[in-house]
Amino acid sequence: MKAIKTQNKKGLMYDCMNVWACEHIQPFIHTIILVLLLGATTFAQFKLPEYETVTLENGLTVYLMEKKDVPLISFYAAFNAGAVKDGIQKGLASFTSEALMFGTASYTKNQIDSIFNFFGSSLNTYAGLDYSGLYTQFMKDHLDKLLPVIKEVIMSPTFPEDEIAKRKQRWIAELDQAKESPRQVIGAYYNKFLFADSPYGNPVDGTKKTIESIGREEIISFYLSEIRAENCAIAIVGDFDTENMKSELRKQFESWRTTTLRMINDSGLLNRNLSEPAVYLVNKNNARETTFMIGGFGVPMNNEDQIQLDVINTILGGRFTSWLNDELRVNAGLTYGARSRFAQYKNSGTFYISTFTQTKSTEAAIDLALKTYNRLFEKGIDEETLTSAKNYVKGQFPPDYETAGSLAAFLIRKYIYGLDDSIINNFENEVNELTVAKANELIKKYFPEENLQFVLIGKADEIRDKIAKYGKVTEKDIVEDEY
Amino acid sequence: MKSLIIFLITAASLFAQIAADDIQTFTLKNGMKILVLENSAIPNANMYLFYKVGSRNEYIGITGISHFFEHMMFNGAKKYGPKQFDRTMEAKGGSNNAYTTENFTAYTDWFPSSALEVIFDLEADRIAHLNFDSVMIESERGVILSERSTGLENEPLEQLWQEVQATAFVAHPYMWPVIGWESDIKNWTKQDLENYFHTYYSPNNCLVVISGDVKLDEVKKLAEKYWEPIPNGPAPRKIHTVEPPQTGERRVFVQREVPSPNLMITYHVPQSGSEDYYALDLLSSILSQGRSSRLYSSLVEENQLALEVGSMYSDAFDPTLFYLYGVCNDGVRASELEKAILAEIDKIINEGISENELQKVKNQKLMEFYRTLETINGMSNTIGTYELFFGDYTKLFTAPDDYKKVTVDDIKRVAGEYFTKQNRTVGILNTEAE
Repeated sequence: MKAIKTQNKKGLMYDCMNVWACEHIQPFIHTIILVLLLGATTFAQFKLPEYETVTLENGLTVYLMEKKDVPLISFYAAFNAGAVKDGIQKGLASFTSEALMFGTASYTKNQIDSIFNFFGSSLNTYAGLDYSGLYTQFMKDHLDKLLPVIKEVIMSPTFPEDEIAKRKQRWIAELDQAKESPRQVIGAYYNKFLFADSPYGNPVDGTKKTIESIGREEIISFYLSEIRAENCAIAIVGDFDTENMKSELRKQFESWRTTTLRMINDSGLLNRNLSEPAVYLVNKNNARETTFMIGGFGVPMNNEDQIQLDVINTILGGRFTSWLNDELRVNAGLTYGARSRFAQYKNSGTFYISTFTQTKSTEAAIDLALKTYNRLFEKGIDEETLTSAKNYVKGQFPPDYETAGSLAAFLIRKYIYGLDDSIINNFENEVNELTVAKANELIKKYFPEENLQFVLIGKADEIRDKIAKYGKVTEKDIVEDEY
Repeated sequence: MKSLIIFLITAASLFAQIAADDIQTFTLKNGMKILVLENSAIPNANMYLFYKVGSRNEYIGITGISHFFEHMMFNGAKKYGPKQFDRTMEAKGGSNNAYTTENFTAYTDWFPSSALEVIFDLEADRIAHLNFDSVMIESERGVILSERSTGLENEPLEQLWQEVQATAFVAHPYMWPVIGWESDIKNWTKQDLENYFHTYYSPNNCLVVISGDVKLDEVKKLAEKYWEPIPNGPAPRKIHTVEPPQTGERRVFVQREVPSPNLMITYHVPQSGSEDYYALDLLSSILSQGRSSRLYSSLVEENQLALEVGSMYSDAFDPTLFYLYGVCNDGVRASELEKAILAEIDKIINEGISENELQKVKNQKLMEFYRTLETINGMSNTIGTYELFFGDYTKLFTAPDDYKKVTVDDIKRVAGEYFTKQNRTVGILNTEAE
């Protein structure tokens, strides 16, 4: 609500298209995008602060980084268990992570909420496609009050029936509400269209039908199988003493043992072959504008070229003067913002252009987006633009790791994706090494040129005829369950 | 839980690394005031320029022009023509944005410290020599119309909010939305923009905050070189309109197809810095901050009446509105949610709150304070808004103590004084009226 109090020059452009997912993985969004960043001007090289990694006997990985500019501590825990592990019960990972806070051996849900709030803090859970977890930030003086609660939330949740039932009812109603806002849900339609029935097509928050089917039994089974010490990392960044924190964590978490057998559910995650251009038209009867994404498969996390790829994407659609925003917004006035992005997952990834426009200018906006995108292949990138983009990503890099929360989020991503610290420490060199020739090679290698996939949410009757030219059209109504 | 109740934050824990003394200030001969916070945690800095002009300075016919103007500030001046502001800044590693509220317009630059001088040059060029290119005006009109429509498209609450504001105020310019009315957006002229610029974009109407890896001497030198020569315009007209006291409940209905009704309830309350400000702000936290807050725990969780609830008391120069809002759960009627929200309000008016609850929201405010100090961005924005609304940036650093002075009786008193039926406006947005 605060956000709508003001009007921004370009706020929307950098908002995540998938707000629903963003809310759950908020602290991680920045780092995902940022990994993409670095030019020719020399800036003070930014380095990851020192930290210690400890593996407890039970397999739990712990990262500890001292940072004492404010008397706060950021605590993040992540489980290698995102929506890709949902199986047929879409939404199970997400629901389970929230259900951790529904009650524990010693605390009711109300007590957990009250204790955190009393100390000025709150405990939050999140889930994405690859992983889920919880995070909080609190004043350092309250560590001894809050850590025992966090321990129970992770190690001894009771998943009370009544809390599950109440949340399920609201969760289902929220799925309907989210569809009132195309930008909240278009990401789920896009992934579904690209990945079809493979796990990266799973809507993180499930569908009405699948959430309805989730009961206490399924939650417990998912918990026992996936949320376990050897499948978990804790990252703590802030104002504390490492040695003390280590012994405190040992005290709290060393006894965490899960004896049940772990279900291994690593389905092959091969991208399907996109053999023709295709359009997914999602009808929203009361739409006044068309929200759309265009693209194809991208690169998985930890791709060796990801930093340099991000420099290129900065030119196409990653900053205000990017080609897409310049053409669609500044020159044509067709939209408030246009952008492009690589969304990277552990075993796959997507690339997309995204924007929105009034219903009647749908075709003009798509044509202009495509024409602008094709400049990448037809003209490529020149030296001046590349130098500017390199300076931009380097200059914008340090603030991304300014807070304890963003550093903890990086350590979590390190654990989940096996990232190397060089992603931060060698960022500037990687950026500097990108030449025009290499950039144009990377474009051919990674940006999808053919068989583009289009996902549109808008008033189908008014745009159907205009969009058939982009590919074979599949239609769905937004009020239908699923994506 | 018992042990928690006695817990009090000690004054000693209030001292973070950054204190009011770390902020240095100076004023140029043309009246432009500059606040500087040196902090070298990261090799970056930012610059916030706050112009004391927002939608409250508009009138019917040019509603939304403050925000439109904000966009035009990026569209070319004398030295840096159309598109050159952004291109130059980005090529030096900087980025920017801006936002407009009812009260002020803020321009924000984030950059590696090495780019400091060019940022001064860019800002000086547009303050002194903004150009109004007719082609840029027209394409920007399209951008604004898209911004307006995408907000309404994606946020039913935003649509309801506009109608509630327009109903709660009958005289004061807080009655229209910052984005403006569509017909005004389509019809204002280049002359309107020029007038606006000369009236409000004068150096003495601007407050600047710079935080990060910079040195005061360097900032001073650059400010004197680039900004001091810019002349002032005539003093802007004072906003003298006072909203007359509301004499009875007002109601408004908005028709829109939605899965369940949206509800908004507002009360007229005093401006920032007024005597009751801190108590009202804490009352807002009591009502809606965190899952243990009154409205959330009762309406969302316990009674399952709402999917979302919130309250809002924003900074304002003039007497403003306190908002309560919610989205009904599936099958719940707007009248049910309204009744339940009002019952929670009555409970506070009649029974007050506990010491423990008051301590909780004071702790929440202390957390907010520390979080602000975590980033140079948070610092600049907050230092600037405190200087604007409280007349003194040091109030940011005394805020934890100012909140501490509020008593449970104060909370009960302000709830009773302002949350009356006569002072209330209720808005409902739904597919059809009940």
